[in-house]
Amino acid sequence: MSAPAIEVRGLRREFRVRQGMFAPPKQVIAVDDVSFAVPAGSVLGVVGESGCGKSTLARLILGLLEPTAGDVLVDGQRLGGMDRRARARLIQPVFQDPFASLNPKRRIGDIVAMPLIAQGNIGRAEIGRRVAEALDRVGLSRDQGLRFPAQLSGGQRQRVAIARALVLRPRIVVCDEPTSALDVSVQAQILNLLAELRRDLGLTYLFISHNLAVVEHIASEVAVMYLGRIVERTESEALFAAPRHPYTRALLASVLTPEPGLGVPDVGLGDIMPDPANIPTGCRFHPRCPAALTRCSSEVPRTTQDGVGLVECHLVGQAA
Amino acid sequence: MTALLEVRDLRVTIGSTAAVRGTAITVNKGETHCLVGESGCGKSISALSVMGLLPRGSKRETTMLRFAGEEIGKYSERQMERLRGDRMAMIFQEPMTSLNPAYTVGSQMTEVLRRHRGTPRAQAVDRAAELLARVGITAPGLRLGQFPHQLSGGLRQRVMIAMALMCDPELLIADEPTTALDVTVQAQILRLLAGLQKDFGLGILLITHDLGVVARIADRVSVMYAGEVVESAPTASLFAAPEHPYTRGLLTCVPVPGKVKRDEPLGSIPGVVPRITPGFAGCGFRDRCSEAHAACSGTIPRQTVSDGHELLCTLAPGWGGKAAA
Ligand SMILES: Nc1ncnc2c1ncn2[C@@H]1O[C@H](COP(=O)(O)OP(=O)(O)OP(=O)(O)O)[C@@H](O)[C@H]1O
Ligand SMILES: Nc1ncnc2c1ncn2[C@@H]1O[C@H](COP(=O)(O)OP(=O)(O)O)[C@@H](O)[C@H]1O
Ligand code: SF4
Ligand code: SF4
Ligand SMILES: [Mg+2]
Ligand SMILES: [Mg+2]
Repeated sequence: MSAPAIEVRGLRREFRVRQGMFAPPKQVIAVDDVSFAVPAGSVLGVVGESGCGKSTLARLILGLLEPTAGDVLVDGQRLGGMDRRARARLIQPVFQDPFASLNPKRRIGDIVAMPLIAQGNIGRAEIGRRVAEALDRVGLSRDQGLRFPAQLSGGQRQRVAIARALVLRPRIVVCDEPTSALDVSVQAQILNLLAELRRDLGLTYLFISHNLAVVEHIASEVAVMYLGRIVERTESEALFAAPRHPYTRALLASVLTPEPGLGVPDVGLGDIMPDPANIPTGCRFHPRCPAALTRCSSEVPRTTQDGVGLVECHLVGQAA
Repeated sequence: MTALLEVRDLRVTIGSTAAVRGTAITVNKGETHCLVGESGCGKSISALSVMGLLPRGSKRETTMLRFAGEEIGKYSERQMERLRGDRMAMIFQEPMTSLNPAYTVGSQMTEVLRRHRGTPRAQAVDRAAELLARVGITAPGLRLGQFPHQLSGGLRQRVMIAMALMCDPELLIADEPTTALDVTVQAQILRLLAGLQKDFGLGILLITHDLGVVARIADRVSVMYAGEVVESAPTASLFAAPEHPYTRGLLTCVPVPGKVKRDEPLGSIPGVVPRITPGFAGCGFRDRCSEAHAACSGTIPRQTVSDGHELLCTLAPGWGGKAAA
């Protein structure tokens, strides 16, 4: 046993986008040769700025998107060619906007039952039993199961999305910004629920968020993405204690903890924003990097994997 | 300290919602006052009330709405128009709500100055370029000729800020100016606002739901809940000794790296924000408050905890022994 819950190898996804009506299509590399493994029972947090490829990575791992190159293995099995129903029993999503992902015309109970019905071989009594169990697990009442999404609060809708993800008893849940649309008091309720479910059910999470403090709280390991690549991946405590990639440092510096008197730090990034349709030569972070060396604009840094973790930067691991 | 903006007993109803219920806010010259609270608690409506930009069908009442010493509560739309964008300016969460997609950055920025001051075009362009540089834009000349959709979110927000500063306003109202931005860009924009405030002596009313932002940038904080300011204090006192059960609860909900161990629960507040209709009496937080008691359905006293620290609650200041951290 003990295959990683999730393993990706050389994963790549390109999109063709047009930036104007007459402009020739450009190639956007949303995920660029990414490899990692997530051990069963752990939580891999994925952080990075908007557009860096987090959701694309999530959709590739969920099988909602075909890779341009590379493989996804879930529980040791290749995702390509896996039957949809088998896949649904293994891995399930929870997305950011619970309103957009719930059919407004269906009752909560029916929404949660959908994955069971889609399996095609589960009896009605069993479906009723499992829906009730899933609603109960996430702290929703039977009465709430009879309502429609519009009649619930944002936090309750996110509970519905979690119940629907759990009803097939999957091993893995991919959470893409599951609390980003919620108020902090509700965010805390949902984070506590997710942590409790992971413990009780032995789940593995891929947890995407732009909020580093949230990721620090829930993830055992963190992957930092920049323009489609994972530029640093380290066990959570080590990453927060001693970030090694200059981009990770800038991200951590921008976390504004509620400590008065500290002021707003200078993150040192300038005003150039990353554009996935124009990935810079050399190190893709070099136009914004406060520590850039001359060679950074021409030489692609190699990946260093050591006892601490993985980093992709000329300043780390290689004799200068 | 000189009060720049003084609002007393502000009440706004929109249809069957009592959106703001007796709010008081003071912004002093050269000070940043943060309004913090969860969505729907009335932050934006309070700000829009000051600017005279409430949605149609709103009813506003107030006993004082004073700007730079002058009562503006009874100003006509004409008079308000003259103030807006000139002596008081506002920036919003989504810059595209105030940038016109059909005009270049340059023409929108210079238009503000030409309308309010009649400044000649060339001079207005210089001022626009100077301000774009001041907000950290590296190629102001290039940006002046571009359209809003050609800019990233962070650049648009910088343009908005520069545009708000065109007429040297005394008061800047910023409604969640960084909520839609990446954390890296958020830090840059907030640092910029703090710097501008120092350089220009601006009074800033900053609206946010993020206690991290508040801690780092505010001189004074007002915590709003269900249309009321439930606690208001200098930033250091609010974080060191929060009094209102909602403030205390909110502070335990925020994940802070290294504070709560993984797999140990964060603090949380059960339940959800209620919808308050006109005529509602008592404390709006009582359904969620672990300290609620009979008196909480009656009139809630406004108490002074210490100099400048006010509390709207039936509990005696210092309740429960030492305040929650
Ligand atoms: N279906 C698509 N067609 C074309 N381009 C796409 C598509 N999906 C994503 N992209 C592009 O791929 C890149 C990565 O997008 P992705 O949604 O994965 O980012 P993200 O990290 O999830 O960002 P956010 O934090 O804003 O959610 C972006 O440049 C995006 O515009
Ligand atoms: N245009 C509007 N029409 C009707 N109700 C509104 C409108 N704008 C806000 N409200 C209501 O007023 C209350 C306060 O809203 P708002 O000030 O926008 O909250 P916040 O900015 O704190 O999230 C909420 O109950 C909201 O639903
Ligand atoms: S390789 Fe160079 S540019 Fe890239 S992160 Fe390291 S120092 Fe900065
Ligand atoms: S007034 Fe009562 S219900 Fe309201 S916060 Fe104070 S103790 Fe809680
Ligand atoms: Mg995304
Ligand atoms: Mg608002």
